[in-house]
Amino acid sequence: MDDEREKIIAPENSMRPDKYPLEQYSSIGRRGLARKDGYEKATGYAVFTADVNLPGQLWLRILTCPYPHARIKAMDAGKAEVVPGVRAILRYDDPELPERADVSGHFGRGNDGYQPVLDRCGYWQGMPMGVAVVADTEDIANAALKLVEIEWEERPFNLDQEEALKPGAPLSNPEAFPNGNFILPSMTLQATRVWGNPDEGFKDSDRIIEWRMRKDKENWVGPERPNGLFRWNGRYPELWLKHQRPHLSKRQVAEYFKIPVSQVTLHCFYQGGSFGGWSQMALNMQPNIIAGIMSRRTGKPVKWQFTRREDFCGAGIDNARYQMKAGFKKDGTITAVAGTSWFGKKGFAHMGHFVENTSVRHVLQESNGAVLNIMPGSAFRCEQNMNIFCLGAVLNRVAEALDMDPTEVALKNDGCEGHPMAELARRKRELGFQERDSLRECIEAGKKAIEWDKKWHLPGTKKLPNGRMHGIGFVFTHEWNDSTGSGAMGIRIERDDGSARILGQRCDNGCAAETAYCQIAADELGFRYEDVHYRQFEEAGFAPMTPDASTNLTVNGFAVRNAARQLKQQILEIATTPRVTERPDMGYFPPFGEYKAEDLDIRDSVVYVKKQPSKRMTMAELVRPAYFMGKMDIGATEPLFAWGWQNQQGAQMSTPGPRLIFVRQAHFVEVEVDPETGQIDVIRVVNANDVGKAINPDAVEGQQYGGSVMGVSRARTEDMIYCPATGVVLNGNLIDYKINTMLDCGPIHTIIIETGMGYGPYGAVGVGEDVATVVPSALCAAIHNAIGKWVDLPATPDRVLKALGKIENVGGGR
Amino acid sequence: MPYVCPYCTTPHDTHEGLRAHILSDHTNEPLPRAPGRISITVNGEPYDLKVEPNETLYALIHDRLGLIGAKMFCDRGACGSCTVIMNHRPILSCMTLAIECDGAFIETVEGIAAAHHPLIEAYVTHHCMQCGYCTPGFVVTAKALLDRNPDPTEDEIREALSGNLCRCGTYPQHPKAVAEAGKILRGE
Repeated sequence: MDDEREKIIAPENSMRPDKYPLEQYSSIGRRGLARKDGYEKATGYAVFTADVNLPGQLWLRILTCPYPHARIKAMDAGKAEVVPGVRAILRYDDPELPERADVSGHFGRGNDGYQPVLDRCGYWQGMPMGVAVVADTEDIANAALKLVEIEWEERPFNLDQEEALKPGAPLSNPEAFPNGNFILPSMTLQATRVWGNPDEGFKDSDRIIEWRMRKDKENWVGPERPNGLFRWNGRYPELWLKHQRPHLSKRQVAEYFKIPVSQVTLHCFYQGGSFGGWSQMALNMQPNIIAGIMSRRTGKPVKWQFTRREDFCGAGIDNARYQMKAGFKKDGTITAVAGTSWFGKKGFAHMGHFVENTSVRHVLQESNGAVLNIMPGSAFRCEQNMNIFCLGAVLNRVAEALDMDPTEVALKNDGCEGHPMAELARRKRELGFQERDSLRECIEAGKKAIEWDKKWHLPGTKKLPNGRMHGIGFVFTHEWNDSTGSGAMGIRIERDDGSARILGQRCDNGCAAETAYCQIAADELGFRYEDVHYRQFEEAGFAPMTPDASTNLTVNGFAVRNAARQLKQQILEIATTPRVTERPDMGYFPPFGEYKAEDLDIRDSVVYVKKQPSKRMTMAELVRPAYFMGKMDIGATEPLFAWGWQNQQGAQMSTPGPRLIFVRQAHFVEVEVDPETGQIDVIRVVNANDVGKAINPDAVEGQQYGGSVMGVSRARTEDMIYCPATGVVLNGNLIDYKINTMLDCGPIHTIIIETGMGYGPYGAVGVGEDVATVVPSALCAAIHNAIGKWVDLPATPDRVLKALGKIENVGGGR
Repeated sequence: MPYVCPYCTTPHDTHEGLRAHILSDHTNEPLPRAPGRISITVNGEPYDLKVEPNETLYALIHDRLGLIGAKMFCDRGACGSCTVIMNHRPILSCMTLAIECDGAFIETVEGIAAAHHPLIEAYVTHHCMQCGYCTPGFVVTAKALLDRNPDPTEDEIREALSGNLCRCGTYPQHPKAVAEAGKILRGE
């Protein structure tokens, strides 16, 4: 492929840096741009799926299992059937239902999503199962559900992974896991992973420390509750879907109802929160499939929406305990690390960040997962939680053991896949990156902002005049955007005014990615930002990369850019190339007919001759109206449209990646801990993120402070609590499950560093997932720095008091 | 005879009959409301509506009037996303029965936007939204604050908005936007 052509269409090779960034930027990197979705969202006019109602729609409600583990012995829905307003009832034994189907919306994998549409058994309290009712109103459907008489067979249940894995433990799910409760972690699907030779690494160390730690289950708490609306246009369905992956969902619907994907019409409006959460859990397409069945039976649109409590019972993340071991030299060099996890229901890699951003050569990861009778696990901002929790713990424990500043331990061990920084420098040069030390830059900027050198002290040594203990914590890791996947997006020029519209249906999950795509398209086309638009709600024939692993921008950004570069070429060709019919006086006669495409350029949405800028024409003048009737010439340009595509081969969940990661982030948290009450006040948070290139700095900051708020919240108060006696969720509401309010976190100082060492367009890397994922570990370190004791997460006051030896037990069955 | 005249206790078969009786015999007295009917002013527009006893103000304005800016995040009384201003006070519309709102003056985020309140522009400029689901509730709460306190301190703003939950964590931006809108309102 010649270089010019390649420059236009694709850096298809995601293993190398962007070879063709722009020489200068206008919209990209600019502050103060109005978000494309800003006005709609501020005024209340933004439409979310939950806001959509259709005339004559019915309401679907699904029974949720009242027990942590139970089977329906017998069911009588007779009383529900005769309730006025009830239009249809679907039972688990309905002959239309297949024995099993993929209802996951995220690829059914064995028992993870490939299961009965309406199960006869419930495997956790709150699992939708058994029977579904559609009625004229939600209230009628609820009332009818209560009239369904069920004889239950209650079964023994497991809430604790270590107990569930002991010999003689009852089976949590005898139908799907008849041989025991053991499961492997998602993604890696290997019980043991070894990098290097851990035994040798430990032998080589001066000192070894070991400890246990845990992090309990959090919930995603998406503001817009899961919901959907389904209707049949005769033989073919139309859906309004709250879902992070509209295209996968569409395929799922088509597969289930055995119709062509091309016949499914899908609308994906603004998403009231996403965070990976509910969209990723097994069973997440179940209500939509049931709504489809019921809509077909009744001939009416069917709407469903979970209650907040149902949602709370539906998906969480990170329920894991760890046995950790670290070997290190006296100077802080870590020679080997080993971590064994016991996770509940769903687990991800937990030692991968040592591989991805340290020079530690010897790493051992062992995973023990248990099927439990608790809500499904889900990658909620995000699957890297376990990885960073372990990296942060090792970093800070080694520092503690050596009385070292943890930032020095971090710099001592910075690297990638066991390579030291010198090797990384060589690879940066080879690849053509700038040779910058990302972690050092993040640490220096962060330390300065939080006044680390003035405030850091040995753990448990600084009591404040107000009686509280002062603490300051730090953690680092890399920036990531490494999901494997592809994204396709198109851009067309509107015929009547020359504005550009980006095409590609995707969910808006609030990161302002849509705004960033418009910035990229604007700069690549030479358009004003105001002339580029993107409404991603409707199907347009393109499937952008879904919001996974902060991979939006690095994949879709290239797709938009490639489309824009082709489109710009088309515009310049159109502006200079005549298209004459058999009649020489009839045809399209371009305004710049005496020039060649390469003689022209576009700036501020105006096409002009490079050597004679006064010869110019606005895009609106160039394209002219779609139906131009006034002259002999054809009157309008041919349609201007182009598409781009990018396929990224990324690292898959901490497998040593195909590309070394050079960009880092460092986070600092300052706390005051009251040793009498266990209360933790977060005084300040500092985020230093090397995002490579900030396409939209305001949006990057939004992800930084938003992630900090969420991270502090998760580390301090968020914990799903099950009743140990009944297996029922005790805090499934926003009063008892506490997320941060505006008063719960001190000032957040954000620092953006741009080394250009990302593999995305213009050197960018993702930032959306990681701050919320990393900050909990920094808070954990700050609490330790304050009281000199390690506290498991969430660090609730009772846990702090227990760590201080002031109480013996903590609440919540933990 | 369910329709009894409140002024002379004479019974009537229908509400219309009662109204006719009061119009003719008690000309100076107010007409009775039909059971379940309320008069309510929303964003300056008067409505005369029949409401169910269990119908919330949220359901009325969101589902029936189509003012979808009020949102239901928590499901009941914990998040502030459904906030509207009723008779100058911010209230949770999900916790308010519509039938108790007879005679009330309601202001929703759509009304605030239609009046070109500077909060809207300030919220857009300062990126006070991410997913945007909770944003209207913040705007309405902030508007009620500025109505009663045109020059709030940052602490007062944070206190006023502390009942509104935002899962995306946009909190740091709101005080900036509210302070800026306050300045514009004060003509500074």
